[in-house]
Amino acid sequence: MKKMTEAQFSELEKDLNAIRDEVVADLGERDARYIRRIVRLHRTLEISGRAMMPFGIIPPVFIAATATLGIAKIIENMEIGHNVMHGQYDWMNDPGLHSQTYEWDTVCDGDSWRRTHNYEHHTYTNIIGKDRDYGYALLRLSDDEKWQPLHSLQFINYILLSVFFQWGVGLHELESERIRRGEIRLRDKLPFLRAFFRKGGRQAFKDYVFFPLVTLPVAPVVLAGNAGANLIRNLWSSTVIFCGHFTQDAETFSEAECEGESKGHWYLRQLTGSSNFTGGKWVHLLSGHLSYQVEHHVFPDLPAHRYPEISEKVQSVCRNHDIQYNTGSFARQYGTVLKRIIAYSLPDRVRSGLLSAHAGQAT
Amino acid sequence: MLAKHTQSKTLLWLGRQLFNRENPAAFFDPLLERLNPMWVQAYTPARVEQVLEETSDTKTFVLRPADRWQGFEAGQHVNICAEVGGIRRTRTFSLSGSPILWQEQGLITLTIKRLAGGLVTNWLHDHLRIGAILGLGDAFGDFLIPEPAKPVLFIAGGSGITPILSQLETMPASDYAAPVTLLYFVRTPNDVIGEEKLRALAAHWSTLTLTIIYTHERATPRYLSEQDLETVPGIKAREVYLCGPKGLMDLANDLLHKQGISERNIHSTFFSAPQADLGDQALGGLVQFARSDVEVSSEGDANILQIAEAAGLSPRYGCRMGICHQCSCRKTSGTVINRLTGQTSGAGEESIQLCVSVPRGPISIDA
Repeated sequence: MKKMTEAQFSELEKDLNAIRDEVVADLGERDARYIRRIVRLHRTLEISGRAMMPFGIIPPVFIAATATLGIAKIIENMEIGHNVMHGQYDWMNDPGLHSQTYEWDTVCDGDSWRRTHNYEHHTYTNIIGKDRDYGYALLRLSDDEKWQPLHSLQFINYILLSVFFQWGVGLHELESERIRRGEIRLRDKLPFLRAFFRKGGRQAFKDYVFFPLVTLPVAPVVLAGNAGANLIRNLWSSTVIFCGHFTQDAETFSEAECEGESKGHWYLRQLTGSSNFTGGKWVHLLSGHLSYQVEHHVFPDLPAHRYPEISEKVQSVCRNHDIQYNTGSFARQYGTVLKRIIAYSLPDRVRSGLLSAHAGQAT
Repeated sequence: MLAKHTQSKTLLWLGRQLFNRENPAAFFDPLLERLNPMWVQAYTPARVEQVLEETSDTKTFVLRPADRWQGFEAGQHVNICAEVGGIRRTRTFSLSGSPILWQEQGLITLTIKRLAGGLVTNWLHDHLRIGAILGLGDAFGDFLIPEPAKPVLFIAGGSGITPILSQLETMPASDYAAPVTLLYFVRTPNDVIGEEKLRALAAHWSTLTLTIIYTHERATPRYLSEQDLETVPGIKAREVYLCGPKGLMDLANDLLHKQGISERNIHSTFFSAPQADLGDQALGGLVQFARSDVEVSSEGDANILQIAEAAGLSPRYGCRMGICHQCSCRKTSGTVINRLTGQTSGAGEESIQLCVSVPRGPISIDA
C-alpha cells in the first residue's frame, strides 16, 4: 500500500468528501426519474420474457425469451437491487426503493447481503482475512494465503462458482470454511440457514416449478429457458464482480496495516483495491455501474448512474495524490482476472518461474 | 365470503413468492402508472379534479380518490403524499368537504393554506394542477360530531376552520337537533375561508349561530375574550371543538376552564407534532444504530429520526408526527419516551416510532 503521511491522508479525505458533497447537494428529480425509468425497463423486460417463454418451442423465440428474461434479471440484480440496497435511493423516501426493505430477484436473502456485502465487504475491502468477498473463501488470489495442492484445481472451482453464482452468494454467510475449521458450529448458523432456504426455495419455486407448471404442455421449454436466464445472469454478474477487485493491479491489504485507519486511509484502500473497466452505456447499465467499481467503493451510497459524471474528478484526485486509478478495457481487465486465478493455483515457486515479475502482483 | 378471503390469501402468498415483496400487486405499478395512474397499488391514488381559490393564500383542491379508498367522517384528516423534487413527502390535512359529497359524487376536498417557508404547501399551491395525482392515506382522527346530538361550540382560527366546514355541512343533513355556535377568528375580512358556504349555512339553518371576528382590523388586535364566551347561551352544557393556531387554542382552553367546562368536553385537533411535557426526566444518551454500525450521543432535544438523519442515515419515514408508522423500527435495548403520549417505553425489544421517540438513556435501534 502506498505510503502517505497523515496530512496527505486528510487532504485526500477532504478532496473526496468535496466530490461527494457536491453530488449529495444536487440529488433530486433527475435521479428519481432515472431509477424509475430503469425499474420500468425491468418490468417491461421481465414481463415480455415470461410472456414469450411458452412460445419458445420455436427456437429463435426461445433464444429471444431467454435473453430477455436474463437481461431483466441482470438489470434487476445489478442496477436496481444492488444499488437500492446500498441505500443509494433512500433519500427518495419511496418504500419500493428503500434499502431496508428491498428484496431482490436472486437466491441471496436481502438481510444476509446487507450484512456480508454492505457491511463486511465495503468496510474491510480487500483486507485478507477480513473481507470474505476476496476469493469468496474458495479461491486463492494472493500470496497472503499459503498454497495447498487443492488450489491447483481452483479454475474448476471458479467455473462452478460462476455457473451457480447466485447460490454461492446466497450461501456466503454460512462461512462453511470456518465451520470446517471448527471455529463456529453449524448450529450457530441456523437462523441464517432458515432465511437461505426460504429465499432460495422461493427463487427455485418461481423459475423451476410455478412458471413451468402454469405452461404445462411446454413445461420443459419454460424450465430450460428460465434456467438459461439464470445462467446468463450468473455468468455475467460473477464476471463483473470478479473484475472489481481481482484484476492484476488491484491491491490487497493485511489486517495489521489497516488497524485503526483514518478515513483518508480507508479512502486510499478503496481506491487502490478496486478496478474499473471501460465500455459503452449498455455495459455500464448492465453492470449496475460496477464498471465504475473505484467510484462505487469510494461512494457506495451515491446513485450509481452518477459515477460516470464524477469519474473525471476522482481521477484528477488520484493524479494529484499520485495514486493509481485502475482501469482498462473489459477484455483486458477480465484477462488479468483469469491470469490471476490460474497463477495463484500454482505453487509459488512454479509461478515465479513461469510468469514475469509484474504479473499476478499482490501487495 | 370465507372462500373469497382464502382465495385472496393464497393469491397474496403466491404473489410474495413470485415477486419478492410484501405487496406483490405493486410490482406492476411502474407500468400501470404510465397506463393509468389511478391503477397504482402501492398507495391509494387521488386525481385532482378542480382547484378553487379561497383567499389569496388558500386553495381548495377537489380530489377523486381511487374506488378502494375507505371514506371518512366529518372532522377527520388524511395524510397525502406528494413527490417534491424526487422526494416523497407526507403531510396531514383535514378534509374540508362533507362526507355526503364523497358518498354521492366520490369527491373529497382539501383546503390548504400556504405556509411561509412551507415546502409542501407551497409546492401544492404552485404545482398541483387538474389531472395531477396525489397519494392518499386512510382517514383518521376523533374530532367528530357528537352522537347523539348535543349543543356544540366551535372555536376556529384561520385555516383551522377546515375540519369544522366539513362538520357544519354534514350536521344539517342529519337534522342536527341541538344549537350550534361558531366563533371564527380571522385576521381580516380577506382571510375568511369558506365564507359563502358559512353565510349560506347560517341563512338556511336556524340552529347555527355564526360569528366571524376580525382580529387585526384595528390598531390593537382583538382576541378571544370572556365576553365572547358569555354570549354563547348554555355554554356549560356544550361540547367545545377547538381548531386553530396554538395561541388561540391555549387562550380558549384557559377561558373555557374558567367557565367551568371540563377537559372531557373540549376537543382539539392540531397539525404539528404535539410535545407532551416530558418533565425533568433525564433525556438523551448514546444511540446505537446497530445495522448501520453508527453510534451517536444525543442531548434529548431531538427525536430518534432527527438523530439518525443528523448522523447521515436515512431511515424510512412518513408524516414525522407519529401518525403513519412508516418509520417504525425495532428497538433492541434501552428506554424511550413517546413525545405524543409522554409515556415511557419498556426496556426490552419492541417496535417504536422514530419520529416521536426521544431516548432516555442509552438505546440500541435495529436500523
